[in-house]
Amino acid sequence: MDKSVVVSTPPHVKSRRTTRNIMLDVIIALIPCCICGIVFFGWKAAVIEIISVISCVAAEFVYFFIAHGGFAKKCKNAKEVCVNWIKQFDFTSIITGIILAMIVPVPETAKYFGYMIGGIVIGSVFSIAVVKMIFGGTGKNLVNPAAAGRVFMFLSFTVAMTSYSAPLFGAVSSADAGLLQSGATNLSGEGFLLSDGFSPLSPLDLFLGSGVYGCIGETCKIAIIVGYLYLAVRKVIKWWQPVLFLGIFGFVAVFLSGFTFDKYTFDMGLYLPHVLSGGVMFAAVFMFTDYVSSPKGVYGQLVYVIVGAVLLAVLRHFTGIEVASFVILFMNLFVPLIDKYIRRKPFGYVKEKKVKKEGN
Amino acid sequence: MKAVKGKFYFGGVHPHDMKDLCKGAPIEALPPPAEAAISTAQSLGKPAAPIVEVGAKVKIGTKIAEAQGPISSDVFSSVCGEVTEIKEMTGASGGKEQFIIIRNDGSDEKEYLPPLDHPTSDEIKARIKDAGIVGLGGAGFPVAVKVAPRTPVDTLIINGAECEPYLTCDYRLMLEKTDEIARGARYIAQALGVNDIIIGIEGNKPDCIEKFEPYPDIKVVILKKQYPMGGEKQLIYVTTGRRVGLGKLPADSGVVVQNVATAFAVCEAVELGKPLFERVLTVSGKAVVTPKNLLVKLGTSIKDIVAFCGGQSENAELEKIVQGGPMTGVALANYDAYTHKTTSGVLLMTPEEADTRAPSNCLNCGKCADVCPMHLMPMNTAFYANAGDYDAAAKYGGVLACIECGACEYTCPAKRPLIQAIRKAKSELRKKK
Repeated sequence: MDKSVVVSTPPHVKSRRTTRNIMLDVIIALIPCCICGIVFFGWKAAVIEIISVISCVAAEFVYFFIAHGGFAKKCKNAKEVCVNWIKQFDFTSIITGIILAMIVPVPETAKYFGYMIGGIVIGSVFSIAVVKMIFGGTGKNLVNPAAAGRVFMFLSFTVAMTSYSAPLFGAVSSADAGLLQSGATNLSGEGFLLSDGFSPLSPLDLFLGSGVYGCIGETCKIAIIVGYLYLAVRKVIKWWQPVLFLGIFGFVAVFLSGFTFDKYTFDMGLYLPHVLSGGVMFAAVFMFTDYVSSPKGVYGQLVYVIVGAVLLAVLRHFTGIEVASFVILFMNLFVPLIDKYIRRKPFGYVKEKKVKKEGN
Repeated sequence: MKAVKGKFYFGGVHPHDMKDLCKGAPIEALPPPAEAAISTAQSLGKPAAPIVEVGAKVKIGTKIAEAQGPISSDVFSSVCGEVTEIKEMTGASGGKEQFIIIRNDGSDEKEYLPPLDHPTSDEIKARIKDAGIVGLGGAGFPVAVKVAPRTPVDTLIINGAECEPYLTCDYRLMLEKTDEIARGARYIAQALGVNDIIIGIEGNKPDCIEKFEPYPDIKVVILKKQYPMGGEKQLIYVTTGRRVGLGKLPADSGVVVQNVATAFAVCEAVELGKPLFERVLTVSGKAVVTPKNLLVKLGTSIKDIVAFCGGQSENAELEKIVQGGPMTGVALANYDAYTHKTTSGVLLMTPEEADTRAPSNCLNCGKCADVCPMHLMPMNTAFYANAGDYDAAAKYGGVLACIECGACEYTCPAKRPLIQAIRKAKSELRKKK
């Protein structure tokens, strides 16, 4: 034999699914949101998206370059390190960049827009370098990089992060435009969902995103649903996760908002406004289903989704702001614990007996 | 009996089955080899001890090695000729095995056991032992032990799932030797004293299902096309709804499972008195010129088998030589290996078929846990085993219940070497005991 053959443990055939392939699917699923963001908020949204993606990829590259000795020996290995980076590049930093851009608003004034550009660069570097790469890169991060980046930006650039601008089209008819700017989309402020249990916007407007103030990718729910369907059909995410999340979240939110009326009322009419407002839907589809920072077992995922949904509804009710990113970070920290203790019982498990090896 | 659908089973993967390569090829007999190298380690348990000496004349079917201990099986010569050498060589699994090398003199003198007519249960049991029959599905568990269970048994399941991709030897056998398989199944059932015979066949073999439906005493169960449907515990659950406990044998749940090829071998042993010295195997893969299903004598070299199928294809690159199925088989380093009783296939795979991409970081996606037929956590096992903490691998990954089907590694998007880690953890844990 002229060419030596490969000897390895079975299985000798493997599925065509690869990490890159999955990440590419996620990027494709995010494209409708990107386009809708640009359509709704104009060139500023495009600038934010592009800068976010570029700075995320650049941050990963620079970290990889330094960590793998690109600068050592007077940059002797620089070329080799670059080639290695391209070989192992798996699009995860692009996803982080896109998601980070999707969950920030487009500030209207030039000053805050400038702040936002600076903020998104710092946020991207924080997400990639500190949250992901320091822990070992793809698959090793403890928390969702995009959520951590957003929380970092929210705490550092609070005003820029909360100055929403109106979409380019769609009449802001059903409510006073000035009032809407006072908080996250349709959520807080005088006479809004979380303080008075009253939604000034119709569910249809919320669904289409027309006339709704909000973040770039979170506003148009149709785009999110298209992305969700793509991910579910391609079996990248489990279809029931976002559905269960939104279902439970909506019920708890409606239950809690009943207390804001003088007399307790359980008004299911508020279900849709609650689910469609703010970034819940985007978080449920793209952030709660993130592989790396969510549990691995089915039961663990169930617990994660249910607890996360209840926690989000409760915290959102009492804080009056969109806290999805905080809840994601909070839940992420419990994932190692969930993975360790919430497991499926092996097939044929009997409780009294000690687990023993089967003699084939 | 009319075919019924099996129960739903959670877990498993759907590999591209590639059975079309070899599905239409009828079983052909490979000419006897000029020299047969027969290993004495043909089944689980202890290897047999040679009872012939160098220079001894043997016939086809002469016993050349005797079983040692309860879990072991006799070995028979597959050719007629002279024993030239008894030596130790590296077997396919990598360990040292004792080989008896017999030079074929070209004649076909036979030394069979006497055929049995209307045998009793005990006669069948004795015959199964004397003919050295082992489970031909892959594990090679001596059938004589299986037909003498310690607990009462009420059902016999014949495994016609053949869920491994590429392999079509059981499929061809079911098509061509339907009657023999049915009779063999009845003999095994008679030996066990059971009335219920179930045959499980995957839904991608409708012609086999049709063939078995006319038998009034055999219940046909259609299995979903899913790997590993032919796993013993999975098959029992899908066909009867019984769960075999961890660390228990199927007989503890009142079930015995036998492969279709085993049933065929039992039929031949009883009716013709023929010991187990040949079997049907599949030669397939895109790097072989004409994929075939062959009736091969024990101890034939892989080189001869591949040469009979036209050899290695000129314009296809060879990446892997696999003995057995692609999901559980052994990758060989070269053609210098010999068939065993359990060799169900020889695959020559091209780089497009055999995936040898380098692993990347685990994504924690949990796909391995979703597809695990034993409902374990392979990623936890791999994580703790790579860190050297084998007790944690057993506790949090459940590695000791693993059946090593390979579904987890098949589905892994990061191409992690999970089976390697699992085997490491298992052997380390066994050492500790």
